[in-house]
Amino acid sequence: MAAVKALEVTGLSYRYPDGTPALDGVSFALAEGESVGLIGPNGAGKSTLLLHLNGLLPDVPPAEPAVRVLGQPLTRDRLPGVRREVGLLFQDPDDQLFCPTVREDVAFGPEQFGLAGPDLAAEVARCLATVGLAGYEDRLPHHLSRGEKRRVCLAGVLACRPRLLVFDEPTADLDPRGRRDLKALLAGLPVTKLIASHDLEMIAALCPRVVLLDQGRVVADGPAAELLADEPLMLAHGLERPPGLSRRHPPG
Amino acid sequence: MHIPDGFLDLPTATGAAVLAAGGVAVALRETRRRLEPRQVPLMALTAAFVFVAQMLNFPVAAGTSGHLIGAALATALVGPAAAVLVLTTVVVVQCLVFADGGLLALGANLLNMALLAPVAAWAAGLPLRRTLPGLAGRLAGATFGGWVAVVLAAAACAGELALAGAAPWRTVAPAMIGVHLLIGAGEGVITALVLAAIARARPELVTAAGAGSARRFLRTGVLVALALALFAAPFASSLPDGLEAVAERLGFAALEQPAALPAPAPDYALPGLASPLAATAAAGVLGALGMLGVALLLGRALARPREAGSA
Amino acid sequence: MRPDFLDRHARLASPIHRLPTAVKAGAALLLLIALALVPPRQPWLFALVALLLVAVAGASRIPPRFLLGRLLLLEPLALGVAALAFLQPGGWRHFLLLVGRSTLALGVVLLLSQTTPFAALLRLLRRLRLPALLVTLLALMYRYLFVLADEAERLQRARASRTFSRRRGRDWRAIAAVAGRLFGRASERSERIYGAMCARGWRP
Repeated sequence: MAAVKALEVTGLSYRYPDGTPALDGVSFALAEGESVGLIGPNGAGKSTLLLHLNGLLPDVPPAEPAVRVLGQPLTRDRLPGVRREVGLLFQDPDDQLFCPTVREDVAFGPEQFGLAGPDLAAEVARCLATVGLAGYEDRLPHHLSRGEKRRVCLAGVLACRPRLLVFDEPTADLDPRGRRDLKALLAGLPVTKLIASHDLEMIAALCPRVVLLDQGRVVADGPAAELLADEPLMLAHGLERPPGLSRRHPPG
Repeated sequence: MHIPDGFLDLPTATGAAVLAAGGVAVALRETRRRLEPRQVPLMALTAAFVFVAQMLNFPVAAGTSGHLIGAALATALVGPAAAVLVLTTVVVVQCLVFADGGLLALGANLLNMALLAPVAAWAAGLPLRRTLPGLAGRLAGATFGGWVAVVLAAAACAGELALAGAAPWRTVAPAMIGVHLLIGAGEGVITALVLAAIARARPELVTAAGAGSARRFLRTGVLVALALALFAAPFASSLPDGLEAVAERLGFAALEQPAALPAPAPDYALPGLASPLAATAAAGVLGALGMLGVALLLGRALARPREAGSA
Repeated sequence: MRPDFLDRHARLASPIHRLPTAVKAGAALLLLIALALVPPRQPWLFALVALLLVAVAGASRIPPRFLLGRLLLLEPLALGVAALAFLQPGGWRHFLLLVGRSTLALGVVLLLSQTTPFAALLRLLRRLRLPALLVTLLALMYRYLFVLADEAERLQRARASRTFSRRRGRDWRAIAAVAGRLFGRASERSERIYGAMCARGWRP
């Protein structure tokens, strides 16, 4: 098989500055176009793992990176390019929506990468339309609902034209409508996706495959229908079988 | 102590703006020299924090309450050069968004609250930081520094008002400085309490930020202060003459100064005759000694590990 | 803090709002300078400025009650400083002059801030070549003002619901504790914001 993997993580280990181990020999890979769920209890290291995928961690890029994006290792000189290719959506949209207006925030990424003028404006409009927020350019972040903020963040990330989208708890803190809207949005994105979430129903609906992380280690990696329906496995790792998923009738 | 528009005449406002711009430029250069990129959001959030902290009500008595100004706090958290930028951000937002402090008077307000206050806080706190070890020293330095910052800022504010002819020095100085001798005490104590609370939760945030750059920045600050003194000397030495000379040169001769302005000049040159001024000076000295004592006591008390179960 | 506390009327559609930011800011500055230059012997010029402000306020479609309310809120500061005029003989004339001038100046800045979104002012500052670091600080601070204010409110409410005593000494330490935790959270958030900025290619 000669196709380059969208993402390859090989033996990734990481300790927090105070010495606590966070990740221990994590290995998995994503093919282009795949949609994979990353599940696990709180403290499993999901967020920490995601921060490694665009080089935000470790603080000093290693000589032999454990992460490869589109075949290229994450060395220091590759970081600017990687940040274009990997779109990371943070858990708290307030952390990511840092510009004074929606327009400026969505434009932030492409601006850093050199886009300007009418091309920039067109890109902003396109991305806002994609997330269902057409016409929101002049809105202020603190006037938006949480779901709207999340979608603006997504627009801002999409504006960078990434090849891989990584989500950290995208439906957390959303009301049912916000959750439904976001789910539909994610389902419609053809890009390679890695979604870390506690929302196992959403994972079941969007991701044919899941990776189960616990205490910094990959415990299981396989078809979502099997793993999510495996009740003893779910319970053993602080999760539970999502309702609506029976053992005999896995989702299509 | 934000000066609204309408009190400072153009020469004072412009002069202050020029000095403020220079000071901020120095702080910018100094900060960029040592800036870690991750500190940019930290400075911005420190500014937002100072702003929000200023809204907290510290009840004093019978309905009055004290409020933090924040120069000493900012300095203790990010060092003097970065604190100048943090406070500049606060003062500018207060002016442009809340109309707190005039637009023409922005230069003067920046000079007082964003330049003089943090630098004075840092400098005044130095000896205390050297005397007491560790956190106690930093808390004591912040307490005394907070008081000095407020008093000096008030003095500068009074000076600007007097220079502009809004009120005579011999009356506005004792009024403003006198009141702020007390307000400054509150500032010092509140600064210490907040700093101690931060240190308890996240000790690594209360570090001696950028000690090396602080020294260089202080040296530059002293030079700027000397320049300020030289610039202001012709005005201060003979208030109406200096102002009239400038006014003539700038074509403002048609402006008539308020009748009372000539009065301060003879009194200003002979401090013995201006008893409110002398009294203020004496109060200032006593206040400084008192605050030093308070700072030392508070620093030691707050740095001790806290008993369980309080607040 | 109400989310629209600051910019409530900054986005109305009126001829004044539609003016370019540079024009509004420039006009405000000129008016302020004019006010500073009005000789005390010719107060009728004040009346002229006042009329102009009323006209602009009317054209801007901002509810007059709101503007007056804001003016009254900020007036005590000006009155306080103006009161210093009484410390000298002939103070009344001086006092009125100061109050008149400062109230009108306040009106100018108020109208400017209520007809111009802060983001537009920032863009103007950037065009005027204000150092990039300062503009970034202003933008970030403005953005996170509400976030921090909300967090402070939550922390205070949590503290209040656990406080049963009313001792004043305790209160200061408790309020300081809120401030302490607020800064801790602000600092942590600033780390995450830095990560988010870098994740989209920011290089300072």
